[in-house]
Amino acid sequence: MKKYLKKYWLYTVLAPLFMIGEVLMDLIQPKMMSTIVDVGVLGIGNNGVPDLSLVIRTGLQMILLVAFGGFCGVMAGVFSNLSSQNLGNDMRKDVFRRTMMLSFQQTDQFTTGSLVTRVTNDITQIQNMVMQCIRGFVRNLMFFAGGIFCMATLDLSFGAVVACAFPIVLVCVAFFLSKVNPLFSQLQKKLDHVNSVMQENIAGARVVKAYVREEYEEERFGKANGDLVDTQLHILTLISFMSPIMNIVLNASAVAVIYVGSIRVQEGGVTPGNIMAAITYLSQILNSVMMFATIFQNISRGMASYRRLEEVLVCEPAIADGGGAKTDVKGKVEFRNASFSYPKSNGEAVLKKINLTVEPGETLGILGATGSGKSSLVQLIPRFYDVTDGQVLVDDVDVKDYKLKDLRSKVAITLQKSELYSETIRENLRWGNPKASNNEICRAAAAAQAEEFILRQPEGYDTMVAEKGMSLSGGQKQRLSIARALLKNAEILIMDDSTSALDLKTEAKLYEALKEGYPQVTRIVIAQRIASVKDANRIAVIDNGQIVDCGPHAYLMEHCEIYRDIYQSQLKGNPLEEEQKETVENE
Amino acid sequence: MSSQSEKERDKNTAPNTPPKVEMRVPGQRGPNRMIEKEKPKEGKKTLLRLIRYFQAEKNMVCLLLGVVVVLVLCSVYAPKFQSSAIDRIASREFSALPKILGVMLVLYGIQGVCTLLQGLVSARLSQRIVKKMREDLFEKIVNLPVRYLDNHPHGDIMSRMTNDVENISNTVAQSIGSLVSGVLTIIGTVVMMVYLCWKLAILSCVTVILTVLATKYLSTKMRSFFRSRQILLGKLNGTVEEMVTGYKTVVAYDHQDQVIEEFEKTSGELTRVGIIAEIFGGSMGPVMNVINNIGFVIIAAFGGYFAIHGQISVGVISAFIVYAKQFGRPINEIAQLYGQIQTAVAGAERVFAIMDEDDEDKSGTHTMENAKGVISFRHVDFSYIPGKQVLYDFDLDVYAGHKVALVGATGSGKTTVVNLLMRFYDIDSGEIQIDGTNIRDIDCGVLRRNTAIVLQDTVLFSDTVRNNLKYGRTDATDEEMEQAAQMSNCRNMIHHMEQGYDTVLTQAGQNLSQGQRQLLAIGRAFLADPKILILDEATSSVDTRTEKRIQDAMVNLMKDRTSVIIAYRLSTIQDADYIVVMDQGRIVETGNHEELIAQKGRYYELYMTQFAGNAT
Repeated sequence: MKKYLKKYWLYTVLAPLFMIGEVLMDLIQPKMMSTIVDVGVLGIGNNGVPDLSLVIRTGLQMILLVAFGGFCGVMAGVFSNLSSQNLGNDMRKDVFRRTMMLSFQQTDQFTTGSLVTRVTNDITQIQNMVMQCIRGFVRNLMFFAGGIFCMATLDLSFGAVVACAFPIVLVCVAFFLSKVNPLFSQLQKKLDHVNSVMQENIAGARVVKAYVREEYEEERFGKANGDLVDTQLHILTLISFMSPIMNIVLNASAVAVIYVGSIRVQEGGVTPGNIMAAITYLSQILNSVMMFATIFQNISRGMASYRRLEEVLVCEPAIADGGGAKTDVKGKVEFRNASFSYPKSNGEAVLKKINLTVEPGETLGILGATGSGKSSLVQLIPRFYDVTDGQVLVDDVDVKDYKLKDLRSKVAITLQKSELYSETIRENLRWGNPKASNNEICRAAAAAQAEEFILRQPEGYDTMVAEKGMSLSGGQKQRLSIARALLKNAEILIMDDSTSALDLKTEAKLYEALKEGYPQVTRIVIAQRIASVKDANRIAVIDNGQIVDCGPHAYLMEHCEIYRDIYQSQLKGNPLEEEQKETVENE
Repeated sequence: MSSQSEKERDKNTAPNTPPKVEMRVPGQRGPNRMIEKEKPKEGKKTLLRLIRYFQAEKNMVCLLLGVVVVLVLCSVYAPKFQSSAIDRIASREFSALPKILGVMLVLYGIQGVCTLLQGLVSARLSQRIVKKMREDLFEKIVNLPVRYLDNHPHGDIMSRMTNDVENISNTVAQSIGSLVSGVLTIIGTVVMMVYLCWKLAILSCVTVILTVLATKYLSTKMRSFFRSRQILLGKLNGTVEEMVTGYKTVVAYDHQDQVIEEFEKTSGELTRVGIIAEIFGGSMGPVMNVINNIGFVIIAAFGGYFAIHGQISVGVISAFIVYAKQFGRPINEIAQLYGQIQTAVAGAERVFAIMDEDDEDKSGTHTMENAKGVISFRHVDFSYIPGKQVLYDFDLDVYAGHKVALVGATGSGKTTVVNLLMRFYDIDSGEIQIDGTNIRDIDCGVLRRNTAIVLQDTVLFSDTVRNNLKYGRTDATDEEMEQAAQMSNCRNMIHHMEQGYDTVLTQAGQNLSQGQRQLLAIGRAFLADPKILILDEATSSVDTRTEKRIQDAMVNLMKDRTSVIIAYRLSTIQDADYIVVMDQGRIVETGNHEELIAQKGRYYELYMTQFAGNAT
């Protein structure tokens, strides 16, 4: 935090200074008002002769001071904003930059949702906190201290009134805050519950209707809703008490000031104007106490956010550049006794001592049940994760010895979940190669069997992809991400179950086109369906984190029982010509 | 931020104005001045409808209004006592003081109690209305036709339920009090001011109104900055969301640098606009403060002038300063309220729009006792969107206890058949019959209770396993349930769960695997014991072993029931009694597996394609 504040120290110092100026003007005002009343109107000190010119003179002075105060206020705003927002901006950039350097292991630990919150919401909280500190805090402290000082200079007896009222306000604020705060998290939970019942009923409307459970669901919702409303009411009730109690304390203090004042006037210690000023100061002081409650809440929220940000900022990327090894081999992958386990999995290995070599230009299929470790295996190649034991070599060099940039330029990978961005189709494809010519883009799209549907889009390649690719079907997204990978012109192409939403005919055409158009590329294809990998040079069958067997289709049919099992079950239940994950309803 | 500092200022400079406690309640949206206001289309009509909700709470509304009136009277009257107290001190009539102060204390006491009551009553009122409105809306949503839910984004419906409803009730419940008290305060204050000194009253009113106009002008000017900041903020959040969730791809394509660069550009731009917006926003406070204070100085100066000339007493000046505040505040508040109410009414319009949707047509009185489960489609035409026909002259007979499989490419209309049979959608022309009765004449509940579906996307509820299984038949005994679990191959799995049948599925069962969820759904259908069964076979990537268990469970389930299968796998098709091959909404081939293979037609083609796994 210091580091960031340092850069904008000038703003950070100027802001409170101007703020002091503003508050001072506000504090002088009641005094001047009291002069108008006492000296100008009542003529105290002038034998009861009122002095109109003094009234006007003081009035003009007040306007000047007020204007000056206003100017200070604006400047305080300018500098506090310059400080807090620039600081927020720097932090935001740093956090995002750091996020973009983390290894997957680390992002997995943070979870994406929490990372997003940190970069967006937490930054806002911190900005607010800085703002509150240099502006609100100083301001209220000034009002508080200055108010007490001014009041005491008017007459010490007024100070006594404040001394009585202050603890009451403090206790009251503390009491309600401590009561209400814990209820908030409870409220959030209940709110989530209402939302989830709602969500389930909208998404699962067919099931609710099919089982004729409308009334039951209404009842279920009614309960969740009632719970929520009760908690909310509880909170609102508590809050309702706060304001009137404050008012009563404030107003009772005002009465006390008048009463005490009247005694002092009798004694000749104070003037009526003093009493008026004292009432104004009183409200300023007590208000500042209340404001502190809000400020402290904001600060504690901000500090929590800051701690969350710091967690990211201090997180050193677990996967770092290697020494920058070079090699002449192109397209070879080798696993040597490679073992891997996810950090949270209590050491249970996902991959156990894998030994496997993929030769340049070879097509390797990988087959296995969900959770058998297929995806984990291929993610070791571009160092998305590092092996826990053993070695992964690309082009005969340990992946840890490459610069990450060099290594990853050798590997193109399409993921199970095709991630597209809200840009045009062309821009999405260009991710593969920012310098790709339109010809190259078309070639890759054609090979990925995507050209036809792209051209059918309203603006062809320049059609915008909606957020998260929602405007496209699963199969279309997969084909786009394959085209994107092809454009990268990498030596090694990894396809992680990325043709699952294609019908068999299209899939077959796609593999055909890959073979013809990109023969030199080493391909590693993960699939669920035997048909997808049947024609590969070799197929590795993975079960439970181990390679059970590896060889061509015919060999496996003969020697590998698991493979035969899968084949049997899929032959019996071969998927029909379907784009599986697309539903019909809205077409 | 800016609005906060503005309020802060208001408070600090106002003598004797009650401090307002601001607390943020999660899920409850506070009024935000800077956010662009929406305009309702049919404001009046919607408002009237909203008022109807409040009519049900007549007593509470009356209580609220009564409290507000007392409150206003107190706050209008109290400053006068303060002024006369100071006058007494100025004129050294100390003996009269205790009485005046006593009255003041009583007034402030009443004021405090009334403020409390107002808070309590409006909280209760708003929560009761929120509850009622949410219940109404939910009831509506549950009874909406599937067509509506299919055609409207779920997020949008959700937001009406949560944000809009909350917004409406809060705004309206708060605004009743504020509106009434605002108007009354203005009237009362003006009356008091005129009573005390009409010249000074006119002067104060003019200053205050000018102040309000200035505020209004400035805040309109600023709105565009806040709007563009909002847009940039949205863009930034979008980028973060997209890049962080799609981080794997970013890394795979080594795009970190570009992404960071783009992000920093947006972030910098946002900061620039944000600083300008906030500076303007933050300046509002001090500027208003200056204008307000100038107003007070004017009042003080003129007041002083009048006092010197003996037209008023000193105390009146002090009272006027309080009154000027009191007068300006509700004017500002009402101006703000107007905007808030507009937004709320626009929200209400969206809520009522759903409530005005027609309920699902559930007409029909016939029961299905002793139903055999014969299904026949007679010349059925159907289209989801008028003009885009999905089924053409669809004719199909399914005998009781038979197993019929629908085969065809995506978009051929297979799923549509399910939608029609369950009366999720009604057909355009033709007739669907069960045991010879048009399904439109059968009681919709009875029809659905006798027909179970197992859908592709398994829907479970965040409830116990038991309740999920018994979803179709709440009165089922535990033995029956266990038997169903046994038959659907999910008994083992349930026994492995921590609390067995009482395990609560979190997040609608998202913590279970796809295969496990499917088994539970089959179990649920088992327990419902329907006459007719519709299986929309799942194709999602479940591993082969689970796959086998699901297949077996399905075979069990289909025993002795009329079943319609939307088929993706051949294993369930090969022994089907009847296979219907569909293409673009029409039936192209029918028959059993052997017949169709022998025909060497479309089915044969499909079959061979998969068998070989090659392009043909």
